[in-house]
Amino acid sequence: MPKDQPIEGGERSADDLFKSFKEVSITEFFRKNKAHLGYSGKVRSLTTVVHELVTNSLDACEEAGILPDLELNIKQLGVEHYRYSCRDNGPGIPAKHVSRVFGKMLAGTKFHRNIQLRGQQGIGVAGVTMFSQMTTGKPVRIRTSIGDGDVHEIHLLVDVSKNEADIVETKIYKERWRGTEIIGELKGVLFNLSEQGPYEYLRRTAIANPHIRITFIDPEGRKSVFERASKEIPKRPEEVKSHPKGMDVDEISNMAKKTSATRVSSFLENDFSRISKSKVNEIQSKVHFDLKKNPRKLSWSEAEELAKAFEAVDFMAPPIAGLCPIGEAQVRKAVLNILKPEFEAVVERTPAVHSGGVPFQIEVAVAYGGNAGREITDGGMRTEVMRFSNRVPLLFDAGGCALQQAANSVDWKRYGIRDFDNSPFTVFINLISTHIPYTSAGKQSVASDDEIVKEIRMALMDVGRKFNRYHSRKRRDLERAERFNTLMRYSGELAKAISALTGGDEKELEERIKDIVTKKLKFTPQEEPDKKPGKKKKVEEGDEE
Amino acid sequence: MSDKEVAKKLVDLGKELESLIQKGREPKMTVPQRGRSNVSFDEEANLLRMGDKDSSRNFLNVAHTKKFMQTTLIASKCRDFVESGKTASIRELYYQMKHTIKGTKENTFEDQSESDPLIVDLETMLSVLREELHLKADDKGTLIGNIVIEDTGDVIDCSKLGRSGLSIPSIVEHYKFQEVDADYCLVIETGAMFDRLVEEKFPQKNNCIMVSTKGQAARGCRRLVNRLSREEKLPIIMFTDGDPWGYYIYSVVKAGSMALAHESERLGTPETQFVGMTMSDVEDFGLEKVTEQLKDVDKKRIRELLQYPWFQKKEWRRELKLMEQKGVRIEQQALASKSLEFVAKEYLPEKINSKQLLP
Repeated sequence: MPKDQPIEGGERSADDLFKSFKEVSITEFFRKNKAHLGYSGKVRSLTTVVHELVTNSLDACEEAGILPDLELNIKQLGVEHYRYSCRDNGPGIPAKHVSRVFGKMLAGTKFHRNIQLRGQQGIGVAGVTMFSQMTTGKPVRIRTSIGDGDVHEIHLLVDVSKNEADIVETKIYKERWRGTEIIGELKGVLFNLSEQGPYEYLRRTAIANPHIRITFIDPEGRKSVFERASKEIPKRPEEVKSHPKGMDVDEISNMAKKTSATRVSSFLENDFSRISKSKVNEIQSKVHFDLKKNPRKLSWSEAEELAKAFEAVDFMAPPIAGLCPIGEAQVRKAVLNILKPEFEAVVERTPAVHSGGVPFQIEVAVAYGGNAGREITDGGMRTEVMRFSNRVPLLFDAGGCALQQAANSVDWKRYGIRDFDNSPFTVFINLISTHIPYTSAGKQSVASDDEIVKEIRMALMDVGRKFNRYHSRKRRDLERAERFNTLMRYSGELAKAISALTGGDEKELEERIKDIVTKKLKFTPQEEPDKKPGKKKKVEEGDEE
Repeated sequence: MSDKEVAKKLVDLGKELESLIQKGREPKMTVPQRGRSNVSFDEEANLLRMGDKDSSRNFLNVAHTKKFMQTTLIASKCRDFVESGKTASIRELYYQMKHTIKGTKENTFEDQSESDPLIVDLETMLSVLREELHLKADDKGTLIGNIVIEDTGDVIDCSKLGRSGLSIPSIVEHYKFQEVDADYCLVIETGAMFDRLVEEKFPQKNNCIMVSTKGQAARGCRRLVNRLSREEKLPIIMFTDGDPWGYYIYSVVKAGSMALAHESERLGTPETQFVGMTMSDVEDFGLEKVTEQLKDVDKKRIRELLQYPWFQKKEWRRELKLMEQKGVRIEQQALASKSLEFVAKEYLPEKINSKQLLP
C-alpha cells in the first residue's frame, strides 16, 4: 500500500502492523515459493508431501542408527481429497520437541550447512503441516513414542502469525511402541501411478536406499512392500566448510554475519576450506577494502568483491569427505532386490569436481529384463532413466537435466541395445555432491555441466560394455540351444526316412544321429532344477525323451 | 533308365547316409549347385549347360537341417512310387510326406513350394529324370493343329479337338507322332492369344501347329516342342508379349532354364525363332498409343537379361536397349487395337512370310 495514502479507520499500532506483516510473510513465503518448495501441480504436491514425510523419517532413523521401516498409506476421501499417514520405527520425538519439528517453518538444521543431505529440497516436514492446513483447514495428528510406554498424540496447526505450532489437542496413552506417525489430509492433489507419482518416488527411494523397508498402501488398496536389501546404515556425511568456488554474494554475507571471527581475513581462513594465508593475501590484492575489517560490518558491495575475487583465484579442490556414495555393492543389492533383473551392472566413478571446484561423484547402474523398464499400455516396454541427486529421486523436469542428457547422448546401439527408448531397461544415475548445480529452484533438474555429463557418460559406457558382453554371450547361448533343438527335432524324421530307404533300424539310427548331434555341438540341454507340477511345459521338450 | 536302376540309386543314397551315421560322422550329401553361378551358356549349341560345382548339404548345419531331412524323405517316398509302379503328382507327393513332427507343432513340409525344388535337387543329385522318379506335374499348355498322336494305344487327332485343343501333360515321352502335316509350329505365350488365333482358324489357314505355354513353359510343353523340332524337323516360331518376361520365356524354350540346366538337351530347342512382339513392331504397326509404361521391376528385369550370356546376340541387345530407352512394353493383345483379326490376317502372316524373325 502506497505510504502517502490516508488509511481508513485511523492509525494502527506498530504492534498490530508487525503482527499482520508476519502473518503475511509466512503464508506469503509459502505461497510465493510454492513452486520452489515442490508444492505445484496436483500430482507433484502429493509426491512432495510423501518426499518430506519419508525424508523426515529416514533422517530420524539413520541419525539414531535404526534400520528404517516405513509404512505409508494414502487413502482417497473424495475428489482430489486424500488422507495420508506415514509411520516409522524411528527413535520417536520427545513430546516437547514435536511442535518445533512439525509446527515451525524453516526450523530445520540443514540450512546453511555445507553437507550432502537428502533435505536439500523442500522446507521440511513442517511444510506438510502447512500445506495440509492450507488446503483443508485441518490440523495434522502426530503420534510418537520414544519407547518408554507413553504414546503422545498431538494435533497441531502452524500458527502463521507466530510461525509456531498451535497445539489443538494432546493425548497421552500407554502403548509399547517406538516411532513416529503423522496423519493428515490434503485437498487439491491427485494420486496416480505415473513416473511422477508417489509410488514411483517410493520405488526409486528404495533403490537408492537399500537399507530401508517401505510398505505402501495406495488409494486402490494395493499393498506394495519394498523389502530391505541391506542391513548397513549408510555413514552420515561429514559436514565440510564451504569451498570458495560456487559461493554467491548472499551466502558470503550471511556467513559473515554469523562468524565468530573478528577480521575478514580470519573469517576467510577459518570458515572456508582451502583458503590459506597466501590465498588471503591474493584475495586482498583483488579487493578494494582492508581484510582486517570486522566481518559483521561487511557491506553488500564488499561481499560482491569477495565473490568476484573467489572466481579469479585458484583454490585447491575441496576435500571429498563430504561425499557419501551408496556404494557399488549396495546399489547392486538394491537393484537386484527391487528390479529382479536378468542382468545388472553397476559402476562407481572416483570423485571429480564441477563448477571449478565442487566435488562430486557418479554412481550408475543398468538393469535389463525382470522388472526393469516401464511397461506401457500397449504391452511394450519403455526404458526408464532414474535420476537421483544425493539419493533423492528426481522425478520432474527430465528434459533439461544433465543426467538425462548424458543418458541420451550415449550411443547405446554400440552396446547391443538396438532401441534404447523402448527396451526393458532401467538406467540408474546418482549424482553425489555437496553442492548440486540445479537448473532452477525447483531442484528437479541438474544443470548440464561438462564435467558431470562427461563422468556420467564414462560410467554409462562402462556399464554398456558390460551389458554388451553379457548380451552377446546370451545370444550365442540361445543360438546354440536353438540349433541343438532344431537338430534334435529333425533327427527322428531323418532316421525314419533313411530306415525306409535301407530297411535299417529306425530307433537305432535315431539314437546314433542324436549322439552325433550332441557330440558335435558339445551341448547338453540344461536340466531343470526341479520340475514344478502344473508348470506349463515348453513345446520343444517333447522330442527330448 | 529302368525302375530297378532308379530304385537302386535311391537305396544307395540311404545306405551312404546310414554308413556315415554308423561311423559317427556327420550325415552329408552332395548336391550339384543350381542357379546362375553353376550355369554356363554353350554358344555353339545355343543351350544352357550345368557346371560341375557341387554344394554339400550337411545335416548338422542348421541352415540345411530341414532341407536335408526333407530331401531324404522325398527319396524314401519316390522309392515307394518306383517300386509300386505308381506315378504321383508332385502335389500328391507333398501331401504324402506332410505330417506333424513328433512332439512339435511343426510340419515336415509347410508348403508345396518347399518340396518342389528339392525334387529337382534329387534329380540332379542322382542324375535321374523327374518322370523316372515316378513324379509328374499338372498339365500345363495346349496343343492344336494337324498332328496325330498315339498315347498308350489311343489315337488323338489334334485337329479335331474343337477349340480347346490337347492339354499337354507333364510327361510326353510316351507320345508317338503318327502324322504331322504342318509347315511350322507357333508357340504362344498367352492363352488368350491362342484362343484368338484358334477362332480365326489360323492353324488351318497357315498350315501350322499351335502350342500355348500359358505363361512360363512347363517341362511337358518344352519337351513336346523339343521333340517336334528334333523328330519332325518342324521350324519353331515363338510369339510372346513384348516385355522382359515374354523374352525370358522365349529364352527358356530356346536355350533351357537355369534351374533345369541339367536337362537343357531334352528341354531346350535352339532352333526356335522369335516373331514378336518386338519394339520395332511398335513403330512398324503404329502401336505407340497402346504401349504400357515399364514398372521398376520391369526395368530391373531388363538389366538382368542384359547380363545373361544367352541374351548377348546383337538383335536381342538392341530390343532390350530400345525397350529400356522408350520405357514401354507392348502386349500381344495390344494388336486388337487395330481389329480382332488383325493379328491373324496381317501381323503374323506378314512377319512370318517375310522372315522378319529374331534369332
